Amino acid sequence: MADEILRTDGLTKYFGGLCAVGDVSFALSDGEIVGLIGPNGAGKTTLVNLMSGAFPPSSGTIHYNGRSVGGFKAHRLNKMGIARTFQVVRIFKTLTVLENIQASLIDRRRYGPWRLALTSLYKRAYSLDADADARQEAERLLDFVGLTDYRDELAENLPYAYTKRLEIARALATRPRLLLLDEPSAGLNPRELDDQIGIIRRINGQGVAILIIEHVMKVIMSISHRLIVLHYGKKIAEGAPEAVYRDPRVVEAYLGGDAHVAH
Amino acid sequence: MDSLFLQQVVNGLIIGSVYSLIAIGLTMIFGVMRISNFAHGDYAMVGAYVAVFVMMWLPGPLGWVNALLAAAVIVAVAGVVSELLIFRPLLDRRTDIDMIMVSIGLFILLENLAQFFFEARPRMLADPFGGNTVDLGLVSTSQLRLFCLAFSCVAIAGLQVFLNRSKTGIAIRATSQNSRAARLMGIDINRIYTLTFGLGSAMAGIGGVLYGTLFAVYPTMGAIPTLKAFVVTILGGMGNIRGAIFGGFILGVAETLGGSYLAMEYKNAIGFVIIILVLLIRPQGLFGQREGV
Amino acid sequence: MTPRTTRRLLTAAGLAAFFTLPLVVTDRYFLHILVMTGIFAILTSSWNLLTGYAGQLNLGHAAFYGIGAYTSAILATRLGINPWAGLLAGGLLAAAAGFLLGIPSLRLSGPYLAITTIGFAEILRLVAMNWVDLTRGSLGLYGIPPLTPIPITSNVSIEFTSERNFLYVLLIVLLLTVWAIRRMIRSGFGVTLKALRDDEVGAESIGVDTARFKLTVFTISAFFAGVAGALFAHYQRLISPDTLSLGETFAILTMTMLGGLGTLTGPILGAVILTFFSEWLRFVEDMVKLDVRMVIYGLLLIVTIRFMREGVVGLLVKLPWWPKTLGKGGSDGR
Repeated sequence: MADEILRTDGLTKYFGGLCAVGDVSFALSDGEIVGLIGPNGAGKTTLVNLMSGAFPPSSGTIHYNGRSVGGFKAHRLNKMGIARTFQVVRIFKTLTVLENIQASLIDRRRYGPWRLALTSLYKRAYSLDADADARQEAERLLDFVGLTDYRDELAENLPYAYTKRLEIARALATRPRLLLLDEPSAGLNPRELDDQIGIIRRINGQGVAILIIEHVMKVIMSISHRLIVLHYGKKIAEGAPEAVYRDPRVVEAYLGGDAHVAH
Repeated sequence: MDSLFLQQVVNGLIIGSVYSLIAIGLTMIFGVMRISNFAHGDYAMVGAYVAVFVMMWLPGPLGWVNALLAAAVIVAVAGVVSELLIFRPLLDRRTDIDMIMVSIGLFILLENLAQFFFEARPRMLADPFGGNTVDLGLVSTSQLRLFCLAFSCVAIAGLQVFLNRSKTGIAIRATSQNSRAARLMGIDINRIYTLTFGLGSAMAGIGGVLYGTLFAVYPTMGAIPTLKAFVVTILGGMGNIRGAIFGGFILGVAETLGGSYLAMEYKNAIGFVIIILVLLIRPQGLFGQREGV
Repeated sequence: MTPRTTRRLLTAAGLAAFFTLPLVVTDRYFLHILVMTGIFAILTSSWNLLTGYAGQLNLGHAAFYGIGAYTSAILATRLGINPWAGLLAGGLLAAAAGFLLGIPSLRLSGPYLAITTIGFAEILRLVAMNWVDLTRGSLGLYGIPPLTPIPITSNVSIEFTSERNFLYVLLIVLLLTVWAIRRMIRSGFGVTLKALRDDEVGAESIGVDTARFKLTVFTISAFFAGVAGALFAHYQRLISPDTLSLGETFAILTMTMLGGLGTLTGPILGAVILTFFSEWLRFVEDMVKLDVRMVIYGLLLIVTIRFMREGVVGLLVKLPWWPKTLGKGGSDGR
């Protein structure tokens, strides 16, 4: 078994009186792909938001690389190696596709805002015209997700499926060890779906651990090493995909009765 | 209790009621359409000028009452026209910066058109009660001021009844809470937008007549009610009508007390200090989570 | 000719015109208009950095301008501090105020930030009106010394009492401002600002500490406006609380919107167009005896936002011979 990279213990989040995530404990290992599934409103996105630092947990802990990171801000977690995408894409609409990637490539561990602003006056560090390394890396990532032909297009003009890929490329540009994907296949047609599966596999092939929220069963069953099932904010099952898929509790959660999943 | 103190509180409540009236329109429009209208106080200015002209024709108390009605109608029409021509086409813009800027453009335009058409000298609206005062024991005030307070309260209550009881009013509140759901429920959103803007502007128009009667009418008078209305709206939570009512009274009292006990020359700054504090401590306003209208 | 050479030629021609104009022009009134254009160009460029590129709606920009003006003026008249040092001091104090005003921006946006920034400027204006001991109130500060002469030899020195020599100083400051903003916008700093403008949550997710970036850009923007204010004080040699007024901010934002918000050349173009246009209008108004200038400002603002959101620059970019930057990997040329 590979090294453990992230662990949550009793993770809980309340919104007002509503418990969105309740007492969820699990661990992720280096380099694995874990599928996070559950009916709508099960708390999947909330869990990803907690892990990426969008808001602090109400209680419980998150350890990343053995360090307690609960309550850390999103930008800080990103600098530590956790990147994410969003259910509703949040690309930078007025930037070109290339600039979207370049925005991620800046080494923010070394360059704070003041340093970035002041060095720009005498050095072409991260200058859009002049930084050859950053440009090469950006081109490589564009090629990786198949967006090379669109590099100078404004992001807001991209077809929907490509905005999803751009967001993945942007997340990759921050060189994550753990990538959280929130419904990367939502709204894609069958061909685009196959492309997306290929991209996710190749990212994983580079040693990046992935937690993926997905409703499209074809995707989740074919790429996940392991599944975690949430229902009403609680973890109700965890394990190998086939086993979880047949788990009566899971079937009940999805179908709301004692019906069985037809194969 | 100190009678000066009490007197100031009463004065504050009176001016506060007018702030509430004007701010309600602003907060309604924000709640329903997410428009922050920096020209809102200029609707009040237009209302005040309508009163000036109506009272030229028809002086005395009767003229004043007619002026209030005429201001409501004319400013409502002006509001609807500006909504259709200027604001609605910008509803799908990427940032709210466009909407705010365009309303600032309208503010500059209206204020200077007024300077262009009307003389710069302030005009007084004749007191329909002939300056009679009322003695209420510890405090005294003019009949006019008392009437302003009563009239504002009645107008506010009337609006509340309309919003809570009538079908259209409920549709407005529904749109304010969730415009997408309202649309799915078969509410004609565009009609609601027009209606809300008209109604909100009319409140500003009436408020303008009262404000103009209490102080004076002049072309650039709109800026202060605009800023006050924003202070009140933020105080009560933007889009929150009940918040705006209380916010208006709070600001009115805080200003008169601050003006008499602290420093008169900084009276207009008191509101800003309050909202900067409110925004830093409780950005959703004093009155609860985002409640909608 | 490649777009790049066209652009360079245009820039060179513009710069040449820029620096020969004061030599050719002899009319003092015209020189004065040029000075005011230059000061407004610094203000619009700095406001645009904050609002156009970083998306932080600041309606209190005149406050930074006023702080710069009052700081340098008070230092010179009360403490006899050299106006050249005053320029820097004015910029720095305005920058400190910018940092302060940036703090609410960490939690507020849109109308909330707009009203807070208006409030900030209004409070400062009231202070300038009422702290008579320090500012002489609404009378304003007068007798502000001009920039001190720069000695060349023991008996020759450059004076800055004439409009022309002052204009050269101003042009250099303007050029430095525009150059610095341009370098910043085209670097990773600018990309980050635009990212944070487009989507704050998205920016956080790629490691942008949005809070620190906002504070930084508020501070930088305020610094330039403060220097512009200090320059104005030593040029006009009389300042009043009007420098802090809302009207001043509205002029800045109308110019920027007209030229093109979020573009590099737009704010300068807007400052040039509107300063000259309003002087011309003043001329017309004298003839027809009507005050229509501000009416036109309001109309321009509405029409620009409604029909030409990208401003005059947006129209120019559509011309076939205009050098395009888009397609070279930069979206900032628009």
